[in-house]
Amino acid sequence: MSYRPAPRRSVVANAIYGLFNPIPFGVFVAALIFDVTYAKSGEILWMKGAAWLIVIGLLFAIIPRLVNLVQVWITSRRTTVAAERLDFWLNLIAIVVAVINAFVHSRDAYAVMPAGVWLSALTVLLLAVAHIVIVTQPTTPGNLIHE
Amino acid sequence: MNKTLYRRVLAMACIAVLGGCDEKASLQPDQQSGSNPPMPKAQSFLVPPMQVPDKAGWKQGQTPTVAPGLKIEAMASGLMHPRQLYVLPNDDVLVVESNGPGTEPVTTPKQLIAGMVKNQSGKGGKGGNRITLLRKNASGGWDKHVFIENLNSPFGVQLIGDTLYVANTDGIVKFPYVTGETEIKTPGVGFTDLPNTINHHWTKSLLASPDGSKLYVGVGSNSNITENGLAVEYRRADVLEVDVATGASRIYASGLRNPTGLQWEPTTGKLWAIVNERDEIGADLVPDYMTSVHEGAFYGWPYSYYGQNVDTRVKPQRPDMVAKAIKPDYAIGSHVAPLGFLMSATNALPASFQGGAFIGEHGSWDRSPLSGYEVVFVAFKDGTPVGKPVSVVSGFYSKDEKQLFGAPVGIVQDKEGAILVADDVGDTVWRVTAAR
Repeated sequence: MSYRPAPRRSVVANAIYGLFNPIPFGVFVAALIFDVTYAKSGEILWMKGAAWLIVIGLLFAIIPRLVNLVQVWITSRRTTVAAERLDFWLNLIAIVVAVINAFVHSRDAYAVMPAGVWLSALTVLLLAVAHIVIVTQPTTPGNLIHE
Repeated sequence: MNKTLYRRVLAMACIAVLGGCDEKASLQPDQQSGSNPPMPKAQSFLVPPMQVPDKAGWKQGQTPTVAPGLKIEAMASGLMHPRQLYVLPNDDVLVVESNGPGTEPVTTPKQLIAGMVKNQSGKGGKGGNRITLLRKNASGGWDKHVFIENLNSPFGVQLIGDTLYVANTDGIVKFPYVTGETEIKTPGVGFTDLPNTINHHWTKSLLASPDGSKLYVGVGSNSNITENGLAVEYRRADVLEVDVATGASRIYASGLRNPTGLQWEPTTGKLWAIVNERDEIGADLVPDYMTSVHEGAFYGWPYSYYGQNVDTRVKPQRPDMVAKAIKPDYAIGSHVAPLGFLMSATNALPASFQGGAFIGEHGSWDRSPLSGYEVVFVAFKDGTPVGKPVSVVSGFYSKDEKQLFGAPVGIVQDKEGAILVADDVGDTVWRVTAAR
């Protein structure tokens, strides 16, 4: 995710996005690890940990997702490339899946499984693909530049 | 590719929302009452069905409604969350004013939200942690005296000889009782400890054996269905038998999720309990029940319900325990939340209310439409329940199910044979007699 954004975009918005955007991904990966541990062990600590991580991931996703929404579809729509639009949709679906997963994790004990671990895996997969799409897109002058 | 996935997720979300539509109960409490209640298939939810009326309290002069041939009057009001009642030999009435100790830590995001919902209903009202004594005065009213203070979420009370046993949430304490006293100043002496971790289900119901040699304690589980781990369920969800001479205790019967009331059946002398069953697998699951309690028996929680209906939420599963599980005697409908229990051979009510059990149903939170919120009577014949529960006292919520005036809890019978009902939302004690 080390890319230098287009100069036309607001520096402040880019800074906020760059700061907050990585947090949900890391937290959802941790949630997946906890869910796998719970699915295998039945030890309740891991499931409760995963439930918190999913909620925390969703809270931290609010600001960067709003920034991204505005940049991709409004303020920078003329310079937005296909990869950024794909990134937007992948993130959106990941968030929807994570919201459903947060509700699944409100169930008691092993009723969370197996749906919980699959939804966690799907969230991580969607975000991983989105990140790869962004960092491997062909560079265009005047747009995102990779380092 | 992303479009189809998006549609699939949308479809999933729609199913989730639509799933929310058929969460309404399809069985009446009446249909799920008796010795052989129908058991629909267990469901799991994204959001469990929830319906909690807002606390309104009773207006001046407003009362619950009673069955034909009965009348009801307020005996005392302005109490602090009255939960249980006990009648002393001189006809003084003890009112245990109590609520949960609030020691359960918030360990999941769900608990944060559930706590807010509960507080709105008035069921989260602060308990007095005290016992108030009611005594009839010359003008026919009842005087209130603060009897014992500084208790710790008390629930059960029993008098054996001249010793008053009070079941706090963490243990039984005893007080010296002198007939006619309206206040006990002597600090309580610890008698025996009771399971005291978390106290998810905090009430400790209490019943002395007729000869005064044993105390039976109903101890609730520490979770709905083991979501706090199995370790904290040690000596939980059971009836403990405490030796009065020594304070030593043992598990008398287990697998009873939350046994909130214990009584002796008058014709057979058997121990009976009312039990709150598990939540969040459907509006019509699992019916709460009333059952005889056999020594050494296992009644299913957490591994199964009503005999061999396996609960898949428990990990690890225990087929050996499921095989042992006994089916309870008599269902009283799903989520009615029985919290008051009285076996009455004879009383001052009309003939149709003789020889049976009165049950105070505190009312549902995870069912739509509401269930419980009434006092019902179940007739007994030769020591076993017969027929369907009959409503005795109702009208605790508004017709649109939005406002909650009160909720019945503990039930006792005074020396004149009247039925007394504690109401911990309306902060009132009601007295039910025959209409003249």
